[in-house]
Amino acid sequence: MMITILYGTETGNAEMLAEDIAAELEADHEVTVTNLSDFAPTDFDAGTFYLMVCSTYGDGELPASAQPFAEAMAAAGAQLLGVHFAAFGLGDSEYDDTFNGGSQRLVDLMVTHGATQIGARVIHDASGPDMAEDLAFPWASEVVALACETMGEAA
Amino acid sequence: MSRAVAIVGAGPSGCYLAQALLKAEPDLAVDLIDRLPVPYGLVRYGVAPDHQGTKAVIRQFARLFERQGAQFFGNLAVDGPLLDELRANYDAVVLAAGLSADRALGIPGEDLPGVVRAGALTRALYDHPDADALPDLGRRVVLMGNGNVAIDLLRLLAKSPDELAGSDLGLAATDWLATQEIEDITIVGRSPAAAAKFDAVMVKELGKLSGVTIEVVDAGETTDPEGAKKIEALAGLSATQGGSTHITFRFGLTPIAAEGDGRVEAVRFSGPSGEETIVADSLLTAIGFEAGVEPLNRDRLITSAAEAGAGLIAPGLYATGWFRRGPRGTIPENRADAQALATRILADLAVLPDAPKPGRAVLTGRAGIVTYEGWQKIDAAETAAASADRCRRKIATRAEMLALATATKEPVE
Repeated sequence: MMITILYGTETGNAEMLAEDIAAELEADHEVTVTNLSDFAPTDFDAGTFYLMVCSTYGDGELPASAQPFAEAMAAAGAQLLGVHFAAFGLGDSEYDDTFNGGSQRLVDLMVTHGATQIGARVIHDASGPDMAEDLAFPWASEVVALACETMGEAA
Repeated sequence: MSRAVAIVGAGPSGCYLAQALLKAEPDLAVDLIDRLPVPYGLVRYGVAPDHQGTKAVIRQFARLFERQGAQFFGNLAVDGPLLDELRANYDAVVLAAGLSADRALGIPGEDLPGVVRAGALTRALYDHPDADALPDLGRRVVLMGNGNVAIDLLRLLAKSPDELAGSDLGLAATDWLATQEIEDITIVGRSPAAAAKFDAVMVKELGKLSGVTIEVVDAGETTDPEGAKKIEALAGLSATQGGSTHITFRFGLTPIAAEGDGRVEAVRFSGPSGEETIVADSLLTAIGFEAGVEPLNRDRLITSAAEAGAGLIAPGLYATGWFRRGPRGTIPENRADAQALATRILADLAVLPDAPKPGRAVLTGRAGIVTYEGWQKIDAAETAAASADRCRRKIATRAEMLALATATKEPVE
């Protein structure tokens, strides 16, 4: 299926993870990796499945590269009915009040504008024992399988 | 033949620059040179040992050497003559050496024993090979400065041993912290709270400390939203009570003098309601960094730069990160700076009329160089030596680092 991995990053960790996920999926799918800073709400396409990989910055906020996208979504009053996405968050539980707040904001933004979330958001803790890809690769294969069913396309 | 780029300083700015260059042009020959035998600069020696999540960017940087063809030349200090040699052998040379000297307060008494500078203290706490001995801070500490470095030190000084689990704070620093008998820490900023340089999230983190009682004096008000976040974070700290270490936040006080007979006994300030003296056994200053006595004359290079804002010092010679901009900005800002400079360098390289220069041949095989493979041996030894409640045990001396880096894999019988 057509997959676009959209990443929101501040230090580059989410970008690296997005590229690693793409490398995992590329054998079976047509995968593009795009920084949210280079993506407009009008670019969404109902035939593509969107994997959103997003970190958190400052006080539970969206990372810098996702902020223009969030502003454009709000300004355009984007209508994303029929758009399917899944979300993976990067955060640091040292900051427990706002842990993974960035990816939650992104999910809320997508759902508010009518997009359909596939699977549950999975989050990684930079202060925890797991490597991000050890959580992200199983998440990606699971949500892609779910999306294939939901979106009615064979992988 | 590909173009060759040498980056002086393998800290976050240098590594992000290498990353941006190699992402755009994977065939470039990019070399990172560091005066230390180990890479990653302030990610290793400046980011606090209990902020391991922030150090996770090292995984990105490791890829430069492990997959993207960058080479590490550690234990090589670049002075004027070597810089000339690099410029003769590389198509572009970038200075990303940071700023390592502590700024002085410029007040009488600051040379008294008991005045401790943040850079010197963090080097000692974080096992930097050039560190001085850890000082005795006494019972009452005045901490001058309101940046994130000041907050890091405040947090570390106030943490209980349990709260350091999972960090890479070393044995000597752990023992030192346990023997300090700090009762009061007064953290002082010249500015009002709303204009403080620390991030609100760093202040909020203090509220989790178990052994402290925090008092915030006159945080004031503001209409600026960024300033309001800081004031709100400070207000949240008043609920942190009951611990034996007292932390007091003070704002709007300008230090006039460190006073004492043979050692700091008090710090005198001027403030909105006149002069005030705070009794102290030590004065810890965390007011920023500057170029020190270094083999490269940073200040002269930057003031004479052709286009300082764009990072161009002279044709083929560039600067990025703190070395260019001064000691402001965290890891993401230095990433953005490095990405902008990478765009500029690539544009300049694209129109260079000369044939590509030979690059790393001028460095390869030099005596004492630590390669990336050498660093991997040090890294493996540090990780293997970690105790149960630490993620790493840093090797603190150059001699031990070099011995490990140059050791052959199999012991010779």
